[in-house]
Amino acid sequence: MRRLVIAIAAAVLALAGCGGEAIVPPGQGGHGHGATSAAPPVPAASARFNDADVTFVQMMVDHLQLGISLSQVALAKATKQEAKDLAGAIDATQREELSMLKSWLKLWGKPETGGADLHAAHGGQPLLDDKVIDGTKEKSGAEFDLTFLNLMAGHQGAAVEMALTEKKDGSNPETMAYAERVATTRQGQISQMLKVISEQ
Amino acid sequence: MKLTRKAALVMAAVPVIVFVTPVGSASAHGYVSSPPSRQAQCASGVVPNCGGPQWEPQSAEGNKGLVTCSGEDRQDFAVLNDDSKPWQVTSTGTSLTMTWTFTARHRTRDYEYFIGNTRVHFVDGGNAAPVDPVRHTINLNGFSGRQKLRAVWNIADTVKAFYSCVDINIGGTGGNPTPPPTTTTTTSPPVGGTWAPNTYYAVGAQVTYGGSSYRCLQAHTSLTGWEPPNAASLWQKI
Repeated sequence: MRRLVIAIAAAVLALAGCGGEAIVPPGQGGHGHGATSAAPPVPAASARFNDADVTFVQMMVDHLQLGISLSQVALAKATKQEAKDLAGAIDATQREELSMLKSWLKLWGKPETGGADLHAAHGGQPLLDDKVIDGTKEKSGAEFDLTFLNLMAGHQGAAVEMALTEKKDGSNPETMAYAERVATTRQGQISQMLKVISEQ
Repeated sequence: MKLTRKAALVMAAVPVIVFVTPVGSASAHGYVSSPPSRQAQCASGVVPNCGGPQWEPQSAEGNKGLVTCSGEDRQDFAVLNDDSKPWQVTSTGTSLTMTWTFTARHRTRDYEYFIGNTRVHFVDGGNAAPVDPVRHTINLNGFSGRQKLRAVWNIADTVKAFYSCVDINIGGTGGNPTPPPTTTTTTSPPVGGTWAPNTYYAVGAQVTYGGSSYRCLQAHTSLTGWEPPNAASLWQKI
């Protein structure tokens, strides 16, 4: 029982932003394996999950990939440094999340694909697709920055909605902790983007 | 619940039925991001303690034709109707450009802009999905002083509309918004200091967190949820 509690606590600590409450005690950080610079182990999701967990993770896989694609364009084309930095950080963190979510789907025996169709089933055409992302490549300067910032703010806003749904309907503790972190970090990103937009 | 969800998925696979799918949970959402609307100010933190609009600025939804800032579908958005909140006011001339942020694409009937009950601007949506960036330059001739500009996105595929109110002062020095408040300015970190949110970190910056030291791998402005142990792609433990 104690081991279970520790395992759950460790998973939550490793995963959750939890509104700034994710305090990691000294010596019990995500690393803790004696390595000085190795990447922390990818948190495993437990085997207990429901349809909402699977739907959320599959939709997030699609959503993360689209966000990475848009960030890649911004890394090449953004002129405002804040926009470029944010694109770099979104690109890096979402790649990290993507590999974690894919490992969960593998563990659960669920396909990685299908997220785009699920988006459609959950309320219309997603904001981003390959065509929209390609379209941004034709813009430049302030016009590109404005387009990127509004698209990414909207894209991450959709992630917040998905995360809030998972927090309500999900059952897998690691997935729900991840949803909490998605809501918090995307809200923080949107806050940063709206400030830059309002300076235009 | 599970049956309903599955049924919804099956139904949504049939295009004809999508059209009559109940709109309550549809994520067909949008808001005015510039000049900063009331919900944009909630989401950016300029106005704190907003509740729902902080997390979903895009969800001020309601039936078409309402005189509202909140849309009225969700009670936790009523804060947007509260004129006594410290909303940031944008000084503008008689020409003002509005920019929209969308979280999903839906066919658009039109956009309407009101001051009081007077419609000051109308843009036909052509029954097409919006293409970013969506910007409208509106003419405020005949109005002056402090006003509440109400922007409405009437979508074509549901009975709903999305509402955004922007507080403006017409006859100011131009179309530029008031400067962002100093409370949101990011700060430079002390060398080797403790990690903090809303702080700019350059590549190579070092911080301590939870008793460990970390080196920044990717320049970014930190935020809650990106604490070093939670973001190995941004921070390397040293």
